[in-house]
Amino acid sequence: MRIPKPNPIWFFLSPALFLIIVFYVVPLFFSIYISFTPLQNWNLARYLDQISLENYERLFYMAMNDPDVTKVVKTTIVFVTITLIFNVLGGLILALSMFFMDESLSLPYRLIWILPRMTPIAVYSLIWYYFFLGDESGTLNSLLLRLGVIEKPLAWGNSPELLPESAWAIIILVNGLVGVSFGMVVFYSALRSLPREHVIAARVEGASAFQMTRYVLVPQLKWHIIYVTVWQLLSLITTYAHIFLLVQWGAIDKWWGSPWALYVFNTAFTTSDQGFAAAAAVILVVIGGILGILVLRLMGFKKLMQEPKGEL
Amino acid sequence: MASSILSRMFRRKAKPKVEQLRDVETIKRRRLNAVIGIAVGLATLPLVALYLLLALSSFADRIVTGPDIIEAEYSTTNWKLLFQGKLEPAAGRLYDLRELIMIIVNTFIVALGVTVAVVLISVMAGYAFSRMKFRGRVGLMEFIILLHAFPGVALIIAVYAIYVWSLGAVPKDVLTEYRFLYTILARASLEIPMSIWLMKGFFDRIPWEVEWSAMVDGASRIRVWRQIVLPQIKPGIAAISIFAFLAGWEDLIYVHVFLYTGGIKTLATFLEEVIGNIETTYLPIAAAAGTLYLIPTIVFFVLTQKLLLEAMSGGVKA
Repeated sequence: MRIPKPNPIWFFLSPALFLIIVFYVVPLFFSIYISFTPLQNWNLARYLDQISLENYERLFYMAMNDPDVTKVVKTTIVFVTITLIFNVLGGLILALSMFFMDESLSLPYRLIWILPRMTPIAVYSLIWYYFFLGDESGTLNSLLLRLGVIEKPLAWGNSPELLPESAWAIIILVNGLVGVSFGMVVFYSALRSLPREHVIAARVEGASAFQMTRYVLVPQLKWHIIYVTVWQLLSLITTYAHIFLLVQWGAIDKWWGSPWALYVFNTAFTTSDQGFAAAAAVILVVIGGILGILVLRLMGFKKLMQEPKGEL
Repeated sequence: MASSILSRMFRRKAKPKVEQLRDVETIKRRRLNAVIGIAVGLATLPLVALYLLLALSSFADRIVTGPDIIEAEYSTTNWKLLFQGKLEPAAGRLYDLRELIMIIVNTFIVALGVTVAVVLISVMAGYAFSRMKFRGRVGLMEFIILLHAFPGVALIIAVYAIYVWSLGAVPKDVLTEYRFLYTILARASLEIPMSIWLMKGFFDRIPWEVEWSAMVDGASRIRVWRQIVLPQIKPGIAAISIFAFLAGWEDLIYVHVFLYTGGIKTLATFLEEVIGNIETTYLPIAAAAGTLYLIPTIVFFVLTQKLLLEAMSGGVKA
């Protein structure tokens, strides 16, 4: 009798499963648990056995009544909505332009447009910090002063007479330029994989670039547009890294410049109210879960999974 | 990059005369190509300008903003001050050269660590999903894709709480190593769902027959994977490595939360501190620090253009 060999599946899967359990599954349940405790200053031993609904009650009350938290709620709604439109439309326009160009010409352009996504976040923040700097050495102030549009430098991110719109404009621009490349890449590769006959037929019929876009290309991108919209919605709701330093450095107003996700992060790590922050984070987790499942349905996941090749 | 765009935009016009006997259709297309090329160029220009102004400012006596490029005076003073640890010419040293080098090394440790972890784990799991039949295969893959869409950063409070809890059990003399390890694994786990999916795709494209015959001859699954399959997916491994490296290199939040709190700096948190400490007049020194941090990213961009774009579109197509 031969002794059965140990199953190699465990060898191949265990490292991935380990990370997924430690960094996704356990934290997911732990987040929910923490949100019911008054955890402060990361003092796990002291607070973790006091369970109550207090954080959620406080959160609900503050979102309605606290002047600062209501600013965060408004900022989140405006920021997510406008950046989403900017990202999807911008990505579509870029992808179409790249599609009408020769591929060799579009390559450097596509690279430049994914640069903001790949730039170290601290450097990207620094670039915008310079741009919106409140004295005359800031790029925007310096240009507008030279052109005679303004007479004295303006503090773009936090001067009271410009808030809240100016702070909103800054966070939308900063995140929009990062997000736009996602739509560009998805739409571009979708356009490239359309049957060439459609495009050639339209050309032969004498369709202009605009007509072709309107009647041939965009209708075929319908599902991709929905997919990109949901995906971007998901990531915009949970994004904060690119704004974090701008708020930290005082370039934008702390409240009018903070979407919900950044508020969660700062409540947990700058002030020290982790139980409350966890409750605020659970809302993100729930929205993230729902939208994530929606993305999965849109992708038509089941069709993508083929049968494994390698079974003897 | 700008000159290559220009040469590509107008290259066709320089071709020999015979080619001018083209039909109306292609002439129209060429004009469209140039018009759109220039329009996108104009839209792209401000973005490129922002990066160029940062790099220029690092050599200038002020933050250059456009028209004042000509007026500014250029030298390597900012870079010298940066490496001497002085954030203002008259001020004392805040750090020495050795510390700055350690900060750069730390940044590399995190980026390379993330690369190794992501590549190793996704190469293993991707193979299992591509080649093996096991219960819950489709369900597990679906769950992993869901994690890719799921915002891992929303869990950071609990991930940090686990970190705080685990620190108590770590012996003092390996504390620094543990901090790095935890940061690397936490950051890598954000990249892993997508990498596994991409790797599975790379394995799917490789024919199964060679492996099969080796296994019939008695080689074990693991040996076949290592000696026959891995060499065939080198381009895939390269693409995933580039992505993972850049992700580890650009990171701010994870090094801020897990390393900076333990007193370990990387270029991201260094830059965060520099801006906090510096007076507006000496911002060009911060520009030098930012440029230093940006260089590896730009080098990767120039060297791996096509691979980077392909990996990116492969990743989002999934």
